[in-house]
Amino acid sequence: MSKADAMADAGKTAVLQNIHGTMEFLQKFPPFNQMDTAHLAFLVEHCQLRFYAEGDSIIKPSDGPVEHFYIVKQGRVHGERPHSARRGTETTFEITAGECFPLAALIGERATRTEHLAAEDTFCLLLSKLAFVKLFAVSNPLRDFALRGVSSLLDQVNQQVQLRAVETLGAQYSLDTRLGELAMRQPIGCAPDTPLRDAVRMMHEQHVGSIVVLDPADKPLGIFTLRDLRRVVADGVDLAQPIDNLMTPNPFHLAPDASAFDAAIAMTERHIAHVCLVEHEKLCGVISERDLFSLQRVDLVHLARTIRHAGKVETLAGLRSDIRLLVDRMLAHGASSTQITHIVTLLNDHTVCRVIELTLEDMGDPGIPFTWLCFGSEGRREQTLHTDQDNGILFEAESASEATAIRERLLPIAREINQRLAQCGFTLCKGNIMAGNPELCLSRQEWSRRFAGFVLEATPENLLGSSIYFDLRTIWGPDEGCEQLREALLGRVASNSLFQKMLAENALRQRPPVGRFRDFVVARSGADKDTLDLKVQGLTPFVDGARLLALANGISAVGTLERLRALVAKGVIDALDGAAYEEAYHFIQQTRMQQHQLQARDELPYSNRVDPDHLNHLDRRILRESFRQAQRLQSSLTMRYQL
Amino acid sequence: MSKFTWFTGRGPALTQQQLQRRDALSAPAPFDERPLHQQRLVVLDLETTGLNMRRDQVLAIGAVVIDNGAIDFAEQFECTLHRPDHQASASTLIHGIAPSEVARGVDPAEALLDFMEFVGSSPLLAFHAEFDQRMLARALRQSLGYRLQHSFFDVAEIAPLLCPQSRIRQGGLDEWVAEFGLQVHQRHNASADALVTAELALMLFSKARRQGIDTLCELERQLASQRRRQHAM
Repeated sequence: MSKADAMADAGKTAVLQNIHGTMEFLQKFPPFNQMDTAHLAFLVEHCQLRFYAEGDSIIKPSDGPVEHFYIVKQGRVHGERPHSARRGTETTFEITAGECFPLAALIGERATRTEHLAAEDTFCLLLSKLAFVKLFAVSNPLRDFALRGVSSLLDQVNQQVQLRAVETLGAQYSLDTRLGELAMRQPIGCAPDTPLRDAVRMMHEQHVGSIVVLDPADKPLGIFTLRDLRRVVADGVDLAQPIDNLMTPNPFHLAPDASAFDAAIAMTERHIAHVCLVEHEKLCGVISERDLFSLQRVDLVHLARTIRHAGKVETLAGLRSDIRLLVDRMLAHGASSTQITHIVTLLNDHTVCRVIELTLEDMGDPGIPFTWLCFGSEGRREQTLHTDQDNGILFEAESASEATAIRERLLPIAREINQRLAQCGFTLCKGNIMAGNPELCLSRQEWSRRFAGFVLEATPENLLGSSIYFDLRTIWGPDEGCEQLREALLGRVASNSLFQKMLAENALRQRPPVGRFRDFVVARSGADKDTLDLKVQGLTPFVDGARLLALANGISAVGTLERLRALVAKGVIDALDGAAYEEAYHFIQQTRMQQHQLQARDELPYSNRVDPDHLNHLDRRILRESFRQAQRLQSSLTMRYQL
Repeated sequence: MSKFTWFTGRGPALTQQQLQRRDALSAPAPFDERPLHQQRLVVLDLETTGLNMRRDQVLAIGAVVIDNGAIDFAEQFECTLHRPDHQASASTLIHGIAPSEVARGVDPAEALLDFMEFVGSSPLLAFHAEFDQRMLARALRQSLGYRLQHSFFDVAEIAPLLCPQSRIRQGGLDEWVAEFGLQVHQRHNASADALVTAELALMLFSKARRQGIDTLCELERQLASQRRRQHAM
């Protein structure tokens, strides 16, 4: 029978109740939901249904080349590979209803590398290799799916995220675009002795907003922009003098392989409008704010600048909705959760700094240098739009009495700043972890003593405290005190294995919500019925685990992902594990942020709780895998600290 | 096709060709010692006009095959029988076969011949098999003048044998489906019920193998001894 006949015939039997029923079942899952009906009917009718009791081996490496394409109709299948570190095996992946396996082995015409076991009583549909090959030849969705495997699943998720957001926006443009591709035109450069008049003429003729001052080897020495020109004209400078007297020396530069995101962040952080592209110490392009945002209309730099120059707290409060809009747009342009938390943190930092400056202007500068610290997620730069205040003040004092005196001066200012931040959308901290609290407005010695107490005396409150305060960072003011504090802290934790063990126990408190028998464990009753908490149950295990390992290994990074990367670089955790944790953390955070966006749009209160049944199939699947990675991180802590 | 009808005594009116087909039907094969997972078994479910085994009629036949330990989707039987005088009744609500569908159905003699050819010499399996066995036997006798001799295994009888720890004794299909955590997408049409019964049978055969019951003979022996125990009680 020719292929076409076989497919036409398949259509006829699709009227059989059981074929039809099975097709309907499969149509809930990719790639079957995208397949042509006749192709799907062909698939179902060439299937066998087999049962595997819990613990039965479905396929294993010693079975030889894979003969069937398996689809789980009911139950769960685990992939087991020999454990790398100890005896026995570990579960590497889980496959549940509607999912299929072993694609790579089937397409590679080889044996599977992982034993597939029924994790519970399981029914699988088996399609013979012959029928699979026939379908593979005619069905594009099946072919795409099979060839791209799980990476195609992740792509689909990202496409969906973008689609959802793009609906209200327009053109697609990715923040991951290489800068080399965005810098279309030749950069304009000149020698250091070029008279200002000539340089400005060149800029004018070429319609550019900047000129780069180059040495004979084309290495950038400085940059001169239209903004600089306005300044020199206002100052009444002689237009005949050489440009190197007037340029901004050592201009910031990035490699052409850096992303649009990197440039956007640099511009926002440094308040610059131009970034030089330098490869092998030679100028190869200039990216302007306009290049970056004319395409995108996500005017991050503009927003940051508006925040920095806001004249009143009311203006800052009004800008919150612009931040929400920006996040919306960034999601639309395919920004990752890490990029977004980074930007939200950056804009929040700007807002905090501006609030502090405005408060000092209004209340008068006390004349005492102080540092505004932040803790918790703000400290880790992992803020979402839904954010509490966790802050404190650090100052230098010679003696206890001087510290008390300074505190008296600073507290009213701190309280006012806390109130004004609340006005700008930073919810007041319920636990009173705020600079206006006398216990959190301390001299460096007092902070140091307080931190030492946390490490020495591991009461539950102290453990909780360490999980908040040990993620500290300077937002405003001199940074040295904060870094000295951190250094002392790292030394104390590294030499106290009992405290490490307590932290490890604490890191196991929140169990990721995946069970042995059901795919998600959700609240059984009450207002939270059928939901799970993405932050507490999903992110906290990663955050706590990364904090513990970082503190114990002298790593000063504060962000969870930065900590994981530093731990990999130091050889504390395996590179593959690190990458898996990162991806999992990332996905849970992304899911959480999408929830927040939806809630904001529907004017619902922010919540981290989600009903997994309300997620689409792909998101559910990846979320479940992500929680499994959190479980793996926890079990590695159990081993490491022998709990 | 010959339309010439042979009247054989008080038996049904069949065409020459139908008679030839009937006489060519396979006799049931005796149980052999091949392991359970190499057997071919036909799992059957009937929809009927009611539950009276003497008066009610077969309306639809659904069957799937367990062969070599798997349910093969390519080999299924599904047929609605033509019953000219059929009226909607209480059981219409259960099986959901509309009178109009019955009117469009296949001539019972043809349907039953098709089905018995599908069965071949294989043993049959059903849930509450006695009902299906008697309804089918009567239909075959009335429509074909054929005596059904195939063995039937009753899933409702096998289940408590292999799951002595289960509290279900006289349970229906739904109870066992729930007990085994079987996910059912559709029910109450003959084909879907046959499929569910077959899925249950696969789970039971897996248990049977673990309990050392590996052939139909052994299964039959164990069922007979269970029956004796129950009579003795």
